[in-house]
Order: sequence, then structure tokens, then C-alpha cells
Amino acid sequence: MSTTTRVAKASPPAFTERGGRGGGKRKRIDLLPYGLVTPLMIFIIGLALIPAGYTIIAAFFRVQPLNPPDRFNGIDNFVSLFSSTAVRSSIGNTALYVVIGVGLSTVLAIAMAVTLQKKFFGRSILIAILILPWALPGVVEGILWASIWDSNSGLLNSLLTSFHLIDHYMVFLGQNQFLTILGIELVQVWQITPLSTLLILAALQNIPADIYEAADIDGASPWAAFRRITLPLARPGITIAMVQAIIQTLNVFDQPYVLNGSASTGASLTMQTYFISFQNLNFGEGYALSLLITVATLIASFLVLKIVYRPVEF
Amino acid sequence: MRSKKSRLRGAALLAGAASLAMLASGCSASAPAASNKTKDVTITVALFGAPPPKASLAAFTKDTGITVKWSTIDWDSLQTKIAAAATSNTYFADATDVDWSRVGQEGKLGWFLPMEKYIDEAAYKKDMPQLSSFTYDGHIVGVPFDSSYLVTTVNTELFEKAGITEMPTTIEQYTSDLHKIKDQGIADNPLNIPFAAAEGLSTYWYETTNAFGGSILDKDGKPQFSDSDSAGYKAAEWMVGALKDGLVPAGNINVSDSQGQQTLMAKGVVASTFADYSGNVGSLYDVPDTSSAVGKIKYIPTPGVDGVAENMSNPDGIGIPKTAKYPAAAAKFIEWFTDADNQADFAGANGPDKVMPGYFLPSRLSGIEKLTESGVLKDGKQLSELLKTSKPVFPEGAPTWYPQFSNAVYTNLHAAATGSMSVKDAIKAISDTASKLASDK
Repeated sequence: MSTTTRVAKASPPAFTERGGRGGGKRKRIDLLPYGLVTPLMIFIIGLALIPAGYTIIAAFFRVQPLNPPDRFNGIDNFVSLFSSTAVRSSIGNTALYVVIGVGLSTVLAIAMAVTLQKKFFGRSILIAILILPWALPGVVEGILWASIWDSNSGLLNSLLTSFHLIDHYMVFLGQNQFLTILGIELVQVWQITPLSTLLILAALQNIPADIYEAADIDGASPWAAFRRITLPLARPGITIAMVQAIIQTLNVFDQPYVLNGSASTGASLTMQTYFISFQNLNFGEGYALSLLITVATLIASFLVLKIVYRPVEF
Repeated sequence: MRSKKSRLRGAALLAGAASLAMLASGCSASAPAASNKTKDVTITVALFGAPPPKASLAAFTKDTGITVKWSTIDWDSLQTKIAAAATSNTYFADATDVDWSRVGQEGKLGWFLPMEKYIDEAAYKKDMPQLSSFTYDGHIVGVPFDSSYLVTTVNTELFEKAGITEMPTTIEQYTSDLHKIKDQGIADNPLNIPFAAAEGLSTYWYETTNAFGGSILDKDGKPQFSDSDSAGYKAAEWMVGALKDGLVPAGNINVSDSQGQQTLMAKGVVASTFADYSGNVGSLYDVPDTSSAVGKIKYIPTPGVDGVAENMSNPDGIGIPKTAKYPAAAAKFIEWFTDADNQADFAGANGPDKVMPGYFLPSRLSGIEKLTESGVLKDGKQLSELLKTSKPVFPEGAPTWYPQFSNAVYTNLHAAATGSMSVKDAIKAISDTASKLASDK
């Protein structure tokens, strides 16, 4: 009985044999596996591949409802984008968002994951609280932090004044480009770090405890254990965390839009995509800029994979 | 009896087939044919504010047989949805927002059905001074449902503390009064100008330019503010100068219009907002929950160069998207929504039960009169008079490229305020943008 079952399991899943009255045998396709994956495939095709394909094609077309007709215009959309001061400024801003956001969120996430690696009282509650910023919409976070950064009546100014660290209220956002981007990106780091922490924590929990025990017996200090064991073995988790941070920071929109309006000191590339597409109704250039952001995301993610990722086996 | 696997197979195949059908319908999505039915239909109304009271909507349904499904969507998302639905020819609502600044774009693209087909145009024009702001190429794109316009507000207590009992009627006098308030230490920074790079900064500049006796664009869309002696240039200099002189709080470079009204004006931190919104006294400054300056803030006629200036209108409108399922029913709703009695109800003329949250001022003169008669409207008579003299920012209608122009206005004025560029360079950048856009189109 068990042998029969094993044999049946071992047979190719897509084809079954069925005997007919005349003794002849014919094969038929078992549609079950296809039926099971179809909904997922449909959603991937319908919501990701078709729009992506359409965007790639339309990026090379002039699509301006106010100035019809649509027509192929080669790389004109890209040339126009790179000649725009606003877009060029946003490229610089976005690069800073990525560098600050990915760097800071990864370092913080590693530190938090290491802290949470060992079991202690209240650890589960701490993890639940940690996730909260990740669950909040970007706009809500922007509004929340606006009351902290506010230069006229913000919490930070109030605290710094109370502790006599400053004698008059300071303007944190909007005046200096680097400070503005840093202030805005801190808000996003606050949002994306929880997921990065969980991803790295999951990787850390796969590391067998006996490796640490062996290191301890050999006299390795905690710092040496962190450098020689934790970091190398957590690389897959760190890679995933960094890739998700790259995706988030390259597409930052809500935080700069809520905290700094459309000012060039903090405008991101996705904000420019929005302005070009839905304010200027220049969809061709909007598609082109979206495509550039996608390509930049892929390149940055690929680089992280090449540099950071190493397969780990225990 | 069917086996478990067989049932599973059936379910999986059904799910697959359903998904295929969904994909097919999604790919071929287009607006369904419009119906002229006005009975027993449900229409979707998408606006950025809260709906009228349930009882009011129920009464409308009882009278007309039209059920209203109200969808509240924030302003920015709403504009995106309108553009996305129109360009992809898909249904999203039967009636939705028509912002005065988008009339040129939406009118040219034909995204809204011409309202003159559904309303008595002459009667509406007579009672709605701001209807002209919603007309493009002879067609009414939308109907204003409130009569928001820009107006100067002052905190009379702070003015009186500085010994100012007679309110200023000229810009010069107004500026001098603000300096008095600052110099006497009554308010460190007495003027609220929202310098955040957002639409509120553009409209503030339009109102100030008008007060300085000029206009923004001519009828061909050419900039009227390039010269250093033009009103627009002087207005920009005055605004940025007020920030540099400390009349405006330094932190205002990142304060939006509503933020400044709520956190500075309503809290009695500043003494005046030159370009405030009509209705703010009743709906914000005199509300104890949101204000610590209750009873102290008044409207004054906008100070101008040689005396009182006109006000710039800034109304919100409602129209019928071209992809509406039930345009005739939507038109009936718009007629009801902009009816003088209902507008007075929404603004609180007949008790709190009929108030539509966030509703400012009726767009009909007769609606404001009813509201004033009820005694509910704070400074109603004055607001009514100011409404009569309010005029559109662009008398020929907002140009199709207005959003791009406005973006250039607020980003460059903001940059001038932060000191990263001079007023001269900011005005040149705005002027160059306007000239290019006008010549391109």
C-alpha cells in the first residue's frame, strides 16, 4: 500500500494514465497544477508585466493629451528629462536619500536585530512595538514628524530650548539642502528600519548557537564574534534588507512631499514623475522617468547582491 | 460522489477561469455607455470634503429616486484619479471636483460634460459671480459649490494693543502697522505668509499682486510681472522682504497655508494674514476647540496701493466627468447641491443638524443672503459685499498649463524666501516659464 503511494507520488504530476474499455491507454493533461498557479500568474501578468511592458514602450512615445496625437519620438523624452533642472536636482536629492536611508537603516537594523537576537523578558512586546512605524502610511508619518520638525512651534525646537541647547527656534527643513534631506530621510529610516530589523533577525536566528559557544571557548570577544560570525552569516538577511531599503528610498514620495512641499531642496524623482505625469499631463516623459527609476533600482539592487550577498550553509 | 481532489480541481480551474476573465475585463476596461436615467439609480460623488448630513442626502433620494454614494478623497489624489480615469476612459464617479485652476486643462481635454446642457445658464450666472472662473471656450466645465475667495484678516486685539484703531486701507499703511506691532513687542513676527513650496504660496502672491494693482498674465497668457516696476515683481519683493525684516516668522519657509492659519493665526501668534480664506473666521478662528483668538479676528477689505483692492476668487466647483454612468442624475444632484436653500443649510443657517462639515460659504449670492438673514454667518454682510467684488485670477480662465506655471511660482518664490536665489532671479525664472508655456501652446 505504501509502496503504491510512493510510486504514485513519484510519477510525473502533469500526466496520468487511464485505461479505456478497449484496453487502449491515452494520456491527458492534469490541469490542476495549472489551475492553482493561474490566479497568481494572472495577477503578476496583469498588474506587473503588462504595465511594465507598456511603460517601457510608451517611454519612447510622445504622449501628451493636451498636444495630440501620440507618436514615436525615440529618446526625446529622456533627453528632455535630463535637460530639466528640476529633474537633475531631484536625481541628486534621491541619490542622497538612498545613501543616507540604506546606510542608516541597515546599521540600525543590524544593531536592533543583534539586541533582539537573545531572548529576554518583554522581547515579543518590543518586536510588536518596533513594527508600528512600518505599518503607518507615509503621509501619516509625514504629518506626525511635521509637528516635530516645525520651526515655529515644533517639539524638537521646544525641547532644545528647554534644555538651553539653543536660544532661538531653528529652521530644520527647507533652508539647507543637506539638512533638509537628512531630516526627511530620518523619517523614512524610522519607517523602513523595522522591516530591515525583522529580515536580519530572521537570518540571525538561523545561526546555530554552538558556533557562538565554540567561539566563546576559543576566547573570542563579543566584538570578534559579531565581526567573524554574526555579520558574515547574516549576509543573506542583510542583503534582502538593503534591497528593500533601496526600493523604498528610491521611490520616496510621501515624506518629502508632506514635510517640504515641492521645494527643490528635497524633491525626489518620484515626485517629479507625479508632477510631470499628473500636473503637466506629459505622460510620455512620466513613463520615461518611471523607467529610469526602475532601471536604477535594478542596478543598485544588483550591485548590493554582488557586493554583500554570500550564500550561507549551516 | 465526487472525490476531494476532483472538487479541488474544479475549484482551481474555476479560480483560473475567473482570473482570466478578470484580466480580460481589466485589459478592455472602458467606460460603460451613459444612461439618462434619473430614477432608481445610484450615483457616485467624489469630493475632497465630508458629505452633507445623512438626512439631507436621504431627503434628496426620497425626492428624486437618486441614491448618492459619497466618496471622500484628498485633493491631490482626486486630481490624479480624475486624470487617470479620463485618459484611460474608465468610470470613476458621476460627479466630482472641478478646481478653478484646472478648468483650462480639463476644459480643453473635454474631461467634463458641458454643464450648460443641464442647467439654466443665465439664472446661474446671475446668482453665481464665480461661474465665469469655470468656463472654458464657452462651455461650463463645472459649477462652483462654495465661494471661497482670498481676504485679509487681522487680529484686532493685537492691532489695538499697538494703538491701531483704524484698520489699514493701503499696503503702505498695512506694512507700517505691522512694523508698529513688531517694534512694540506685541508680536515678534506679526504677519503670516505661507512660504512652503505649495499652491497656497502661489495664490497668496496672486492676491498680493492684485493688491499692488496688477495682474499675473494677459489674455494671451503672457507674464505681466517681469519688469521691476510691475505689481507682481513688487508683490514678490514685499513678501520676501517681510520675511527678511522679521515681519514673518523665519520658520514660515516651510509653513503651508492651512498650517499657518491653524498654528499661527488661530493661536494669536501672528496679527494678520494678508491673503486668508473667506469663511475662516466662522469655521476656524471663532471655534474654541481650534482657536485661542476667538472673537478677536476680523475680515478687513484687502489693502491696496491706492486704497481698498478687490479680492481674488478661489472657489471649488463640481462637474460631471465624461465617463459618468448617469450624467443626467448627476446633474440633478449638482442642481440640488448648489441650491440656495441647501447651501444656506450646509453653512449652518438652520441648525447644526444640517451643516455639511467644512463647508464655508454658499456660491450663490442668494445663499449668502439667506445665511446672513439667519444671523449665523459671522460678518455675513461684509463677506457678501466682498464676494460681489471678488474676481477670478485669470479673467480669461486658467490656462491649460496652469499647474506647471503654479509649480514654477511656488518653487521659485520659496527659493527666494530661503535665500538660495534673489527675488529678481525668481521672478525671471517664473516669467521665463510662463513665456515658454504660452508660446509652446
